[in-house]
Amino acid sequence: MIKVTDIISFAKHQISGGIHPKEFKSISNKKAIEYLPLANELVIPIPHNLSENQLGVSVGDSVSIGEKLLSLGSDFFSSQIHAPCDGNITVITDKNIGHPSNLPMPSFVIKTKAVESPEKTKMDADASSRHWLNIESIDLVQKIYDSGIVGLGGAVFPTHIKLNSSINKVKTLIVNGMECEPYITCDDRLLREHSAEILQGALISAKIVGAESILFGIEDNKPQAIRSLATEIERHTNHPENNLFLANIKIIVAKTKYPSGGEKQLIQLLTGLEVPQNKYPVSLGIIVQNIATLYAINDAVNYGNSLTQRLVTITGDLVEEPGNYWVAFGTPLSHIVSTMKIDSEKVSDIILGGPLMGQTVTDLNIPTQKSTNCIIFNANRSASTSIDHTECIRCSECESACPVNLLPQQLYWFAKSEQWEALEQQNIFDCIECGACSYVCPSEIPLVNYYRFAKSEIKHLDSKQAQSEIAKMRFENREKRLARIKAEREEKRRKTAEARKLAANKSTPNEKQHDPDGKKSAIEAALERVKQKKENHMGKTSLE
Amino acid sequence: MSNSSPFVHDARPTGQVMRLVSFALLPGILAEIYFLGWGVVVNLLLCSFYALSAEAFILKLRKRPVKPTLSDNSALLTGLLIALAIPPILPWWMSLVGVWFAIIFAKQLYGGLGFNPFNPAMVGYVLLLISFPVEMTSWLPSTELTNTELANSPGFLQSLQLIFLGTTNEGLNLQNFRQLADGYTMATPLDESKTAFSLGLMTSEIIGSEQFFPNMSGWIWINLCFLIGGLFLLFSRLIRWQIPVSMLISLFVTATFLNLIDNELFLPGWFHLLSGATMIGAFFIATDPVSAATTPKGRIIYGAAIGFLIIIIRTFGGYPDAVAFSVLLLNIATPTIDHYTKPKVYGSKTEIDADV
Repeated sequence: MIKVTDIISFAKHQISGGIHPKEFKSISNKKAIEYLPLANELVIPIPHNLSENQLGVSVGDSVSIGEKLLSLGSDFFSSQIHAPCDGNITVITDKNIGHPSNLPMPSFVIKTKAVESPEKTKMDADASSRHWLNIESIDLVQKIYDSGIVGLGGAVFPTHIKLNSSINKVKTLIVNGMECEPYITCDDRLLREHSAEILQGALISAKIVGAESILFGIEDNKPQAIRSLATEIERHTNHPENNLFLANIKIIVAKTKYPSGGEKQLIQLLTGLEVPQNKYPVSLGIIVQNIATLYAINDAVNYGNSLTQRLVTITGDLVEEPGNYWVAFGTPLSHIVSTMKIDSEKVSDIILGGPLMGQTVTDLNIPTQKSTNCIIFNANRSASTSIDHTECIRCSECESACPVNLLPQQLYWFAKSEQWEALEQQNIFDCIECGACSYVCPSEIPLVNYYRFAKSEIKHLDSKQAQSEIAKMRFENREKRLARIKAEREEKRRKTAEARKLAANKSTPNEKQHDPDGKKSAIEAALERVKQKKENHMGKTSLE
Repeated sequence: MSNSSPFVHDARPTGQVMRLVSFALLPGILAEIYFLGWGVVVNLLLCSFYALSAEAFILKLRKRPVKPTLSDNSALLTGLLIALAIPPILPWWMSLVGVWFAIIFAKQLYGGLGFNPFNPAMVGYVLLLISFPVEMTSWLPSTELTNTELANSPGFLQSLQLIFLGTTNEGLNLQNFRQLADGYTMATPLDESKTAFSLGLMTSEIIGSEQFFPNMSGWIWINLCFLIGGLFLLFSRLIRWQIPVSMLISLFVTATFLNLIDNELFLPGWFHLLSGATMIGAFFIATDPVSAATTPKGRIIYGAAIGFLIIIIRTFGGYPDAVAFSVLLLNIATPTIDHYTKPKVYGSKTEIDADV
């Protein structure tokens, strides 16, 4: 028998740097998960890489919950999106969806059909289908692809691609339950209330990729979540009939510190390994999945549900009942504001995601998306650093906070003076933009802004460089081609001339040998003719 | 710009950092006042005023906002450091030249705080030392000596008169105060020993002399008090350990090494550790973040090189103390040190300890 104490252990390794911002988690982690009532209208952005003929529905179509909105065909590199509710497609038009560029994106607008309660929209378990243990990995991946699951930790990378490229290549599945950003508690609540489903999702993922062990990484500020999960793991492991394919499941508790939840940081924390530069965790035999993603995988595989909603932390000092809510994708912020009785007059700006890596939005028409894990409504304007900061005094606070061991003070110096080469030497592309450096800067420099700018500038210059390389190559190829054509033409002419001569030679082979041009013989012939003429003439005169 | 993460921030603002560093100078300031007299107070007031006025003046010329920059307290700190580095009785216009040069040329003409490649206070100090070597090495004997014997140290009014007028009401000048009852002119222990060595004296004779310890004890106390302030800086995380620790260790090791070679020709390590500007240099001057090396490894190299140079210059150079020269020399080397001591970033290590 395995006991709870055998399951839980403490992290033996640590990350470098890190900060301890005020948590604000108790605002939203007290209340049980609830459903947010459905909005009248949902806005589903269409991925920008798709062409028009990849849309699966058109204006006027009626859709039902979980229906695919795209017909991707064999495009395995995109991810599916589904109707989050029953309703009608009223229009397909450009909408502000909160993209950092502030540019509108083409989107489906769905008029929802009234439902009594959103819980009812969830399907029941598909009893007829086979147990996932008996399904091939590749078919499970297909199922996950069909369900539109993406990484719900925030990066929204298509889960089917991640799993597919890891099949038989990884030994360890690491589950990211760190949730290290302030305010966010959705993973915490999900673990407390749905640890069985999450464990199922983890087992399915491990089965797909062939992992031998599962490590759950959770910060020590979530004791209830740890207990709930440990009990579930204990129950699972002690029932041999459940234990068909894998045994080693552990929870590793780490000290609360930001950014322990970064994928690379989590791997370092739990295993002591560092993902090599420019490589993925799979190169270490590791795959990392987020809590919410695993829940969605279980939902898709065991219940046949597509990803149409997610758990969102709705929090901030303006929210009357802060907590975690199931929110259908495409729900406009205005609907949340009205449902949660938020005084929109008082809202200065809304933060989507956490305060360290999220984004602020002001437009209430912006819909929630698969990446929206948290929405913060605060009365006070967020303490953002400003452009008129004081100068860097190289105090090195940032350097001690950097989890990647960069020298943010040097990066800042080189970014400001636009020394791109020096920046690359300082490994700017290893920056994970966690914001720890800006957080501790006494001069309140928006350091991450400088790095984002520098990165995009370097990328831009690199692509320009690549383009000019291509242009140069094209030019050189053209020159070569022209030279070749000329040479060929020359060759051809030479050959025809030779052939002609050869033909001429055949008629007078002896002469030709000493007189390849035929000039000499022509002159001789001419001289002969003159001589003849003269002789004739002379003959005539003598005759006279 | 404002809608870009992160949206939380928690740090001691630069102005507060500089203010805390100034507070940390307090024990050292009190010790200097006690052992070197009222001139120190006059210098502190004068140099602070000079520093702030120079900064305000140049900011006006550069058409930059004056008040926010003055409130970062960095100019004030430069003024205080120069005041503590110069002899207690120095003509008022000399300190004016030093401080204005430091603020205007060494700091603001490079672009202000954060852009100065050299430590401004040390640039000002070295300018004075090279331009006015006699005045800059005319230190009063420690009050330990003057109060017990016939000679007196100047009072507050007398100090004011000496600094502004050159003589007191009674017609005494600086030299009168520097002479002990027996007519012997006292200098700092570092200066004394330098002169003594040039006269062919041995370490044992220098340390064994009657006036050595009364004169030395003041400097020991001053150094210990700066050490206390320095430890406060260290434990309140205002400075990092690397520079002071590596500098003091290297200074002690170099001095001890020479002393082991010939203990009659070279002064012992403890003497160097507790004399001159060693402690204020290690904790308050070499640690100036703007002009110092910024990588963790680089800071160790930077501090160690300063400690080494201090002993070399003190022992073989022409000037009695060498903190300012050593710091400025290493300021030049800072970009090179930083370039070659970049820390290994995440994922770049070749060796990894695995336990998966």
